[in-house]
Amino acid sequence: MTSPSLTLISTSTLISQGAEAKVYKAHLTADPSDAPILLKHRFRKGYRHPTLDGSITRTRVAGEARALLKCLRSGVNVPGVRMVDASEGILGIEWIDGQSVRKLLPGGAGEDDEEQEEDDQIDLLQEYDISVEILMQLIGQEIAKMHLADVIHGDLTTSNMMLRHPSTFKSCHATLRTELVLIDFGLSYHSSLVEDKAVDLYVLERAFTSTHPDAEPLFASAMQAYEQRMGKEWAAIGRRLDDVRLRGRKRSMVG
Amino acid sequence: MPGRVRETPLKNPDRPYLAIGLEGSANKFGAGVIKHFVDGSTAVLSNVRHTYITPPGEGFQPRFTALHHREWALKIINDCLAEVGVSMHDVDCICYTKGPGMGAPLQSVALVARTLSLLFDKPLVGVNHCVGHIEMGREITGAQNPVVLYVSGGNTQVIAYSRQCYRIFGETLDIAIGNCLDRFARVINLSNDPAPGYNIEQEAKKGKRLLPIPYTTKGMDVSFSGILTSVEGYTFDKRFRADGQPQNPNDEDIITPADLCFSLQETIYAMLVEITERAMAHIGSKEVLIVGGVGSNLRLQEMMGIMAEERGGKVFAMDERYCIDNGIMIAHAGLLSFRMGFDTPLLKSTCTQRFRTDEVHISWRA
Amino acid sequence: MQSYKLPHFPVCVHAALYTNVSDSDSLRKRLIAASTAEGLDGERERDAVNFSFIEARLITSVNHLRTAVYQAVLAEAQGALRTKTVHSEIIWALNPTNNISEAMRRYGVSDASTSLVVVRVAGPELSPEVIERDMDATVKGTKASFTELQDLTDWAAVKKYHKLGSDVAVREAKGDLERERIVVDDIVVSSVAMKSVMG
Repeated sequence: MTSPSLTLISTSTLISQGAEAKVYKAHLTADPSDAPILLKHRFRKGYRHPTLDGSITRTRVAGEARALLKCLRSGVNVPGVRMVDASEGILGIEWIDGQSVRKLLPGGAGEDDEEQEEDDQIDLLQEYDISVEILMQLIGQEIAKMHLADVIHGDLTTSNMMLRHPSTFKSCHATLRTELVLIDFGLSYHSSLVEDKAVDLYVLERAFTSTHPDAEPLFASAMQAYEQRMGKEWAAIGRRLDDVRLRGRKRSMVG
Repeated sequence: MPGRVRETPLKNPDRPYLAIGLEGSANKFGAGVIKHFVDGSTAVLSNVRHTYITPPGEGFQPRFTALHHREWALKIINDCLAEVGVSMHDVDCICYTKGPGMGAPLQSVALVARTLSLLFDKPLVGVNHCVGHIEMGREITGAQNPVVLYVSGGNTQVIAYSRQCYRIFGETLDIAIGNCLDRFARVINLSNDPAPGYNIEQEAKKGKRLLPIPYTTKGMDVSFSGILTSVEGYTFDKRFRADGQPQNPNDEDIITPADLCFSLQETIYAMLVEITERAMAHIGSKEVLIVGGVGSNLRLQEMMGIMAEERGGKVFAMDERYCIDNGIMIAHAGLLSFRMGFDTPLLKSTCTQRFRTDEVHISWRA
Repeated sequence: MQSYKLPHFPVCVHAALYTNVSDSDSLRKRLIAASTAEGLDGERERDAVNFSFIEARLITSVNHLRTAVYQAVLAEAQGALRTKTVHSEIIWALNPTNNISEAMRRYGVSDASTSLVVVRVAGPELSPEVIERDMDATVKGTKASFTELQDLTDWAAVKKYHKLGSDVAVREAKGDLERERIVVDDIVVSSVAMKSVMG
């Protein structure tokens, strides 16, 4: 008999497939008023010994869920957890209606139709009622909050950040009508080391400059917001970030 | 990346070219002669190698390895040339390993190369060892634009080509996979003949019990030093039986050296396959090429094959002749850059222990 | 009463909210008696109280309740129940710790309970009408709409049980009551969803 969670997967809509997991949009109940969720299925890897595969998958599902909860408790905007079936490698999280930050910045939509794309970006920024400047500040702030909670994302790119759509944003006191949400904690881990935080930032810096070469000056405002939020922790991280920039993420290689 | 196909900058030669390659960055000394034909095809004319083998429980020290290379260099080179009836006068260039590798062995090989260059008035071409592996792998297997897993005693890297550079997507954060295997072979006193990794592979086939060992991938990077410590730790476990035999008929809950080899292989190869798959997904490639000495491991090839199949892709692997360090790969990669107008002036014909794969300008690829 | 299907399980979930509950002490005693009663009468009595009786003031949203129900139904389908029945499992799933008696004391019916959420996980063959009649027969109170749930919630108790007082997220939302409730609900729902891997 197939498990209920695999049945759930088989009736869901595939959104994307990565190396490690397939991502689906799913409904846990038949009640149409219930919000959809996002399912991340770490499917079985045939090359891995089944025992090893099972324990790795369970550990990773648990790790990702714990990182999300840690972030939630620390005030970092991340999707909430909605269901877990660790034995099947399934993690269900809140479905975020919104837009990937990658698509909101110049260069992010790919190489085709560049002119059209710029218009789309302006339209999108208007729809979200946000300036690029503020967006960059939100990025810096969110990452700082995450690092203050000793969570290292491990894969910071503009594809792993979303702006929540104003129609689904639930706070009436805020001046903004949206919020920046960090997603995909599949490679995240817990660490309080300055080195790990600096490398996390360096990975983003590299991803940012390669995906959005024209928006590079903007990155400085993200860093500024990060710096402000980190307070006295910044000095050490900033120094280490300079080191990491010099040596690259990778160590020098001995044959 | 798929999409635009650029014209390759490497033109077919106007006449056949011949190159000799000398390799000795670790415990093997190898020499090989390659020929590039006017129609763009190539032929391996000879490929000779001698390995410095140490007694069980001992690794190879730089000093004695260098001695070994000095002792064997001339004989190997002579054998290599005699095999195909080629004289040093016939070759277009002398290619040698510039790095990375162990200092003393590298130096002794560079010295041989320089001497031959002066004696026969032939240009020198310094070659990056890793690039040698990759180019030879592409040549032998016909893989077009694969993600390359380079696994050897000194290196563990996941590499993909981009804009005339072999970019390193992931690598070991501490020791190389081959180093981890070699050192573990010493712990359980396995023979270094023909290679410690080979003997671990044979031993692993008898293993039954999968023991929990840390699984240490970090994004596209891996680390092995903690794994080595952990698997070594099992040899101090009360249940460990060094001879692999139960002490009495009721002695069932035991750990044998074979179990440790099995567990080690299953764990570290799964890690390698995982980071390779991640790189494939990242760049959208369906081809994998495994190079380096550890690449001749059949279990690794099998696991990689399953992964590639699940992705609708293909794995390219080679046998020990080309996986394990050899002179022919140095000759081939060296000749490619020589044909693009590159040579190494005598004054710059140094070698270096540290020489990253991504530092090399891959002028011959589009 | 709300009824909804979990399409990937052979079950339907029925839930109702009762306020002004006046018989919670006798209800609690009845539950204890039923659990140990023997023979045919015992069976019949257990059948009559075959519900999950949940302290409504600790439920922060419908989503909270449904998340606990889902994880309990999943555990039952996998043969991984930590408690005797799917109904007690719901209560266990709601409590942040692994202590079963603590879960029952906090999230189950107590003598002081004045509002209760009653849940029945049943096969699709049982009609909602019958189930609702059985619920009404068991609980003495006013049936209310789930939209009233948020007003019944005892946020201080929720924060205490989930140890949210010192969390940055909650401290930051201070002064913005609506925001704080959203934040607390989100943390609580996530905690329930991932309880099986909190280890």
